[in-house]
Amino acid sequence: MVTRIITIIGFAALILALFVLEFLGRRKGSRIPTLGEWLGYIMRSKAGRALILLGWLWLGWHYFSR
Amino acid sequence: MAADDVPRWPDLPQQEPSRRWRLGRPALPPRLRNPAAGKAAAAAVLIAYSWIAAGTVPFTTSALLIVLVPGAVLAVIAYVRPPKRIPPPDRLDLTGFSYWAIAVGALFEWEASAFKDGAPGWHPALTTLIDPVLGTRPVKAAGILIWLLAGWALVRR
Repeated sequence: MVTRIITIIGFAALILALFVLEFLGRRKGSRIPTLGEWLGYIMRSKAGRALILLGWLWLGWHYFSR
Repeated sequence: MAADDVPRWPDLPQQEPSRRWRLGRPALPPRLRNPAAGKAAAAAVLIAYSWIAAGTVPFTTSALLIVLVPGAVLAVIAYVRPPKRIPPPDRLDLTGFSYWAIAVGALFEWEASAFKDGAPGWHPALTTLIDPVLGTRPVKAAGILIWLLAGWALVRR
C-alpha cells in the first residue's frame, strides 16, 4: 500500500511541477518558455506539427475511447 | 472588320480576380459579423458535443468516432481555412526549456515504470488512476471539453 501512495505522490508532484513551470514561464522576462511557446516552436516544422497533433489525438483515444 | 471595335488586350479593363483564384481554395461564406455570438455558439456546440460524447460506452465504434470526428474536423479547418496563427518564438532558451524536458521526461518515465510493473494495485499507472475519475459523465464531459479546446489551441499554433 505504501508503494501505491508513493506512486500517486510521484504523479501529483510531477503534474504540479508542470503547472509551476507554466506559472513561472508566464512571468515577465522569464527564461522558461510557456507550454504553448515550446509546443509552437516544435510545431514550426510539418513533422513536428504532425507529431504533436497525433499525440493530441492519441491522448483523446487513450482516455475517452477505451 | 466586324471585330475592329472589340477591345483587345492590353486595352481590356482589369478584372478583380475571384476569391477562389486569389486564395487557391474554395470560396467560403464570410466570417460571422458578431464575434461574441460566434464564440457563444461555438461554446454551446462544444459543450453539447462533450456531453453527448461522454455518454458513449468505451471500446465501441461510437467511442472511437467521438475522437476521430474532432480530429478530422480540426484537420479540415487547419487545411481549408486555418485560423490566425500565434507566431512561434524564433528561438528557445535551452536552459529554460530543459526544465520542461526534465519534468515531462520524468512524468513519462514514472508512467512507463508503472505500466511495465504491471501491478495496478501497488504501482498504478496514470491511466489506472484517472479511469475511475472519468467514470462519471460530467467529469468525462469536462475532460473531453478540455481536450477539444487543447486541440483548437494546437491548430492555432
